[in-house]
Amino acid sequence: MSQSEFILDLLNSSVDQGEKLGVDFIEARYDDLQLTTVALINDIVKQSSAFQRKGIGVMAYFNGTPGYSYTPELNSEGVKGATKRAINLAKSTDERNVMKLDFDSIPAIKDKIVVDVKKHPKDIEFSEKLDMLKRGVSSIKEVLEPTSTTGLYGEMFGEKYLVNSEGTEIYWAPVMVDIRMGSVFMSEGKQAQSFTGTGASKGLEFFEEKETTPEQTGLDAGKYCKEQIDAVAAPVGKQTTLVSPLMGGVVVHESFGHLSEADFVVTGQSPIADRVGEQLGSEHVTIIDEGVSPYGGLYLPYDDQGVKTGRTVLLEKGILKGYLHNRGTAQKMNAELSGNSRAINFMFNPIVRMKNTYFEKGNLSFEEAVEHVGSGVYAVDMSGGQVGLDGNFMFNCNRGYLIENGEISKPLKNHALSGNILELLKHVQGATKDITIRTGYFGGCGKNGQFGLAVGFGGPNVIMDQVLVGGA
Amino acid sequence: MSLDQVREKILGITDQTLKYAKDLNIPSTEVFVYSLSSTNLTDNKGKVDSRDGLSLGVGIRAAIGKKIGFASTTGFDEESLKATLALAHSIAKTSPENPMFNGFVTETKTSKEGILDPEIPDLDAKDMIEHCNIMGQGFDSSDTRLISVTYAVNITWGGYALGTSEGCLASSLITTYGANSMVVVTEAGDRKTAADFVQGREIKPVEGLTANAMKHGLDSLGSEAFGGSEILPTVWKSREAAPFIAFPLFSGLSGSGYVEKRNPWKDKLGEKICVDDFTLIDEGQNPEFESCRSIDAEGTPKQTTTAIENGVLKTFVFDKMHGEAANLKSTGNGLRGGTWGGIPFENPPGVGPNQILVKNVGKNLDEQIAETDKGILITGTPIGLFTANPVTGDFSITTNDAFLIEKGEIVNPLKSISIAGNYNETFQNIVTIGSDRESSEWPINAPSMTFKGHTISD
Repeated sequence: MSQSEFILDLLNSSVDQGEKLGVDFIEARYDDLQLTTVALINDIVKQSSAFQRKGIGVMAYFNGTPGYSYTPELNSEGVKGATKRAINLAKSTDERNVMKLDFDSIPAIKDKIVVDVKKHPKDIEFSEKLDMLKRGVSSIKEVLEPTSTTGLYGEMFGEKYLVNSEGTEIYWAPVMVDIRMGSVFMSEGKQAQSFTGTGASKGLEFFEEKETTPEQTGLDAGKYCKEQIDAVAAPVGKQTTLVSPLMGGVVVHESFGHLSEADFVVTGQSPIADRVGEQLGSEHVTIIDEGVSPYGGLYLPYDDQGVKTGRTVLLEKGILKGYLHNRGTAQKMNAELSGNSRAINFMFNPIVRMKNTYFEKGNLSFEEAVEHVGSGVYAVDMSGGQVGLDGNFMFNCNRGYLIENGEISKPLKNHALSGNILELLKHVQGATKDITIRTGYFGGCGKNGQFGLAVGFGGPNVIMDQVLVGGA
Repeated sequence: MSLDQVREKILGITDQTLKYAKDLNIPSTEVFVYSLSSTNLTDNKGKVDSRDGLSLGVGIRAAIGKKIGFASTTGFDEESLKATLALAHSIAKTSPENPMFNGFVTETKTSKEGILDPEIPDLDAKDMIEHCNIMGQGFDSSDTRLISVTYAVNITWGGYALGTSEGCLASSLITTYGANSMVVVTEAGDRKTAADFVQGREIKPVEGLTANAMKHGLDSLGSEAFGGSEILPTVWKSREAAPFIAFPLFSGLSGSGYVEKRNPWKDKLGEKICVDDFTLIDEGQNPEFESCRSIDAEGTPKQTTTAIENGVLKTFVFDKMHGEAANLKSTGNGLRGGTWGGIPFENPPGVGPNQILVKNVGKNLDEQIAETDKGILITGTPIGLFTANPVTGDFSITTNDAFLIEKGEIVNPLKSISIAGNYNETFQNIVTIGSDRESSEWPINAPSMTFKGHTISD
């Protein structure tokens, strides 16, 4: 018996067991994901680690009530135990569960997806990966004499299987690589730091692309760090701000995307619940979430309920069009399936999460957008932030520039951008016609204890008025 | 499986894995074996979700002199353990030397274990639903201002074992219980969220959690705009004071940051960095705290470390490698998974805080409010706390969970405000370190505190 047949047998045995025990619906997932992280700190390989996440998760629905359990024990006994526990949880909690999110049957899917990768990380020697980091760090040193350097490499690949009681059987093999570079620099008693880089749902050929070679990432890290020495304080107060694809992508993901997740909507926690059809933003705002985007980013063909990922228009010319769903919330709200039910690994049940979330492009050139701002801030990159379920957000912009007289001028010191997304969307004044979407191994989205889920975010450069700029 | 059986199993797996390592001729090996059972139940406006499972895994460091490799796997099957050993060994072979690395822990030495609650492994979903019922008593669920109520109960039990080829073999067990209730309320366009919780190593009473959250939420409605910008004192409830000061303390106490010259306090050892009353302890031995373990995540006994005493920085906190790189010793702060979580066995050890405690000094929260002529009472954790500039210490954070204080009285709740300042100045501008303390969800715990010199604006 092949490994594939063995896994499918285990998963199907879970489904059979669930059907015999009288559940309405049961799905079983198998993950075998291998992740590797290499950290080159001050030219020392401080961390070189590989880890494997391998196990099975079972979701059972009894009378519309879910129960989830998992096991890393890949044998009949382990899977039987997890299945039994999932069913027991569903049955034990059914009486209290008054908000049933059951769903109708859909046609079974049989599919197998293997991403076309030219330089798969599993085929590349460790020394070649370490060499990329060393080349990146050397490039930093071409720009300045750093006090400290950081080079990070990350890769993830593996296999995922999903079967359910509708007869669906899906296999796919995800892959992702990422490189980040950072430096700390001191000059004339002043200290500056930078951190930059990105990843992709690709193989190591990604680092042969002109903008994402390790050398270019290192040069960027050096340049951004060096220019910080002469940075000026950001103008505080409400500013017209041009946000970069990266910055705008994070803002739209964190601030608006989470509010549009239907599990927050059906429970009334989201302030945009029951507001479909309302004009929430200006006519310049269209927000999309999709699994496979023509602009790159995360490659996600199916969600973890076996639903083919689609393209969801959340906001169209400022009008709220819909939400992000799992099968249960979609049926409850009479909406189309959007393929947003995702779990970070087999130890977690799928919950409503984003895929690639971005502002749709506008019609301005970059120069026109800067000229439109006239006087304000160009916010390019960030180093952390927080949001609230009320739409309030706060992001630390660690790379930004002053815009004066319609032109980009001096680099700015770290500053905070804050506001309420529902207010801010009304003040979007336009966007450029180019789109970039990024994803990565490092970072990721956190929700309900599931931290570091890979998502894609980006968009064009977006002009926002009334962004509160603080002096952090 | 009982807790005793968990201990026996993880020690057995550790010992067996070390034997496999010997068979594979790995010169030096450290094995971290982890087993944690968990059950989580949430009721979100009647939408109930539940999850349980057993997280099993092994993290292995293999060393050849100063060359180290790390690999981990889920599960304990023999094939995976041997493959993980081989992978860690192969990574070590191809890695350059790490000059800071000076070997694994060489002996079995343990300190005190924390409290274990034998009833926690026996809790099932029905018990947890009953806990939700109890925490939901005593509030008016028909109040039209209430949008949603969430109840959650989480339990874990299990432990980890640590073994090295140099002779360390030890284990540490834990039980945890957490329950919380959150409400969303609204009135006349004003919308507020409020919560209350309990957590610890034992099952805790949950009566009144929803009622407390509801009272806080309703008290916060009817908020008014602050209107302008003004430099004022800020009075922080205990649960909010702790995360407010967490960011500079976590980075300032980091021994790895000190060795790698990233620590903003790297040149401040022995210097006065805070007001006289400020004493800070890194607590790894209070049996009620989750941080209390007999060993840290690389086999060093946990301890209690006074990091700041009467305002003077006395030491940083270290794991073994960074402690020795600084010509000092580990302070029992080897942590796997990072300060904010992560799967422990998937991470090699790094430096992290145990439970950081600000020592109580003076007046309680009510007394601090009474002594404030004009200021802001912070009653909810602001957003943006971890976006402070690590180089300059500048911060700018926002909250919509605050009240205006005038002439020693709470006047009204406030709409969203921003609070800006500089952490280096903030520690010199502590007006009062309080005498009252609540439990914290963070690896830091502080009494209520009052600071001066923060810029408040909206």
